[in-house]
Amino acid sequence: MKGKANFNTLAAVFFLVLAVAMFLVIPHQIEEPIIVLAEDAMSLKAEVFPQLVAAGFLGLGTWFFFKSFSLTETNQFLELDRTALVNVGTTLVAMAIYAWAMLVLGFVVSGAILIAFLATVYGNRNYYLTAAVSIAVPVAIFFTFTKLLATSLPPFPIDTFLTRYFIL
Amino acid sequence: MWDFFLEGVSLALRWDTFAAMSIGLLLGMFVGALPGFTTLMAMAILLPLSFFVHPLIGIPFLLGVYKGGIYGGSIPAILVSMPGTGAAVATTFDGPALTKKGKARKALEIALFSSVFGDLSSDIVTILFIGPIAIVALMFGPPELAAVLLLALIVIAATSAGVFVKGLLMMVTGMLFSLIGQDPIGALSRFTFDFFAIRAGIPLLPMLIGVYALPEILTAIERKAVAVVTQKISTKEGGRLTWPEFRSCLPTICRSTAIGTMIGVVPGMGQVVAAFMGYAAAKNASKTPEKFGTGELEGVAAAEAANNAVNGPTMVPLLTLGIPGDNITVILVGAFIAQGLRPGPQLMVEQGPLVYAILVAMVCANVLFLVLGYFAIPLFARVVGIRRSILLPLTVVFAFAGCYVVRSDPMDLAMLVFFGAFGYAAKKLRFDVTPMVMAFILTPTIEYSLGQTIILAQGNLLGYIVIDRPITAGLLLLTPVLAFLMWRRSTRLRRAIAEGIS
Repeated sequence: MKGKANFNTLAAVFFLVLAVAMFLVIPHQIEEPIIVLAEDAMSLKAEVFPQLVAAGFLGLGTWFFFKSFSLTETNQFLELDRTALVNVGTTLVAMAIYAWAMLVLGFVVSGAILIAFLATVYGNRNYYLTAAVSIAVPVAIFFTFTKLLATSLPPFPIDTFLTRYFIL
Repeated sequence: MWDFFLEGVSLALRWDTFAAMSIGLLLGMFVGALPGFTTLMAMAILLPLSFFVHPLIGIPFLLGVYKGGIYGGSIPAILVSMPGTGAAVATTFDGPALTKKGKARKALEIALFSSVFGDLSSDIVTILFIGPIAIVALMFGPPELAAVLLLALIVIAATSAGVFVKGLLMMVTGMLFSLIGQDPIGALSRFTFDFFAIRAGIPLLPMLIGVYALPEILTAIERKAVAVVTQKISTKEGGRLTWPEFRSCLPTICRSTAIGTMIGVVPGMGQVVAAFMGYAAAKNASKTPEKFGTGELEGVAAAEAANNAVNGPTMVPLLTLGIPGDNITVILVGAFIAQGLRPGPQLMVEQGPLVYAILVAMVCANVLFLVLGYFAIPLFARVVGIRRSILLPLTVVFAFAGCYVVRSDPMDLAMLVFFGAFGYAAKKLRFDVTPMVMAFILTPTIEYSLGQTIILAQGNLLGYIVIDRPITAGLLLLTPVLAFLMWRRSTRLRRAIAEGIS
């Protein structure tokens, strides 16, 4: 094996571990049929494809492990500076919180907060424009999906809030 | 097939189809013109809009976004040397030089006319050949279908960006994701870990938007997303394209159209390869090759005709065999499935007029493309300078909305964030997600077809395939050979492209 271990080698080890984990998990994570008919006995059993996939990870992971020592491509994560890591990390966390907040605060309010927050993080300093866009665009999207396309988005749950905390 | 075609023509000629295509074209051109935004991202985010309307509104809308986006990518490529899409990289060889000479308008117009010519020609070829290919595909039984789909997956992995074994590993990862939920034969639960939310499996839409749209957004905000372009760009100087100038580029446009059409049929090749091959062929055939790269209209025409000529033929393997040829057609598969149409051999039988209506709509879209593009050129030239710090958060909100509305399931939002992070990590670690998505879509069909094959074989699988299904045996033997040849060709092309860019 020429060259030295790199991020590809770690990825190969991950796939090998995944293969072993799959072989261990398969007997416990595939439902058994309640009744076995004669046809079912001849057909493809539910565990065959998962076993093939696990075998694929094992074989390809082994190939990748040995191949990784000769690969020279760079790990692009290492090329990111602090600004990039902060921007990406902040955005991912904001998205995760937004996925929760949309259901609690409603689409329009949570969307307005997300747009205002991210636009400021990304360097926008025209706060009037930010405020206008933060309110107008979620409202427009909300009406497009709920009125024009007759689907549903989480509304601002003021009625749920009122009935839960201000029962008359 | 002729009856289906005539019925398709009458189905396609409706005002709402044309309106949807026009909106799609404008949106596509708008997104394509924005550096840092890709057509793929736009299609992934706009995909949910197509779910709630008639197929002849939703699918032409997405096709409009697709066509508009491929052309739109040439606008920043020509004006500021920043290709809006990967397919427009070859356009940067001559486009910016034409802008510096004060011929920006001519360059944008030759790009538009070449794109329309290439796209229209290849769409007509697609309509002519899809019927006979569909008839051949109908002769396929479960063994042949499983073998063809497996071949397609391995070819996609072989031609994906990056190392071959990494493409194969992503393909197997996609197979793993598809196993979660219920098996396609007995509906037995697999890998759910008693988690009810994934009992029905992983939904396709959050995966598509997550791996194709969110990583682009995350990549765009690595540097603070200030306006990419600050200089003023004018398209008023230099006058418009003249008829003699267009006529002089016509042989190049025809050659590039032929190249793009042939490449479009082959899964995994795509617009980037077509654009570079079209440009290289034009330069080789020119009497003045030394002028290429210094601001030649033919250089822009060659790249744009080739990359747009790919659009039509990529629909052939999709509609006849259910094989998406590239990541764009993967999005279209999502649209078809949401409409209850399963691309594959049976689609032409069950929905032949609808299929032809979609293809006719594609042809009509080119006419709209020409008209809208011609008048919108000055407008889209301004789009290049829009501040991304506002646009990127809007894109995130739209993506989440589109993901939620399909099932109104909070789990879809969690999946979206997961696949967004996954897609971004894969991009940074140089794993191509396209084989993963293709495998996710095709594996249930492969498994089901394999199950049917085993029943038909009645216990003697090897003998059944070798003796009773020689085509299947041939395809299985051909798979490693073709994969090797495609991988070698693809590696050489990418090396040539990288050298050309540097």
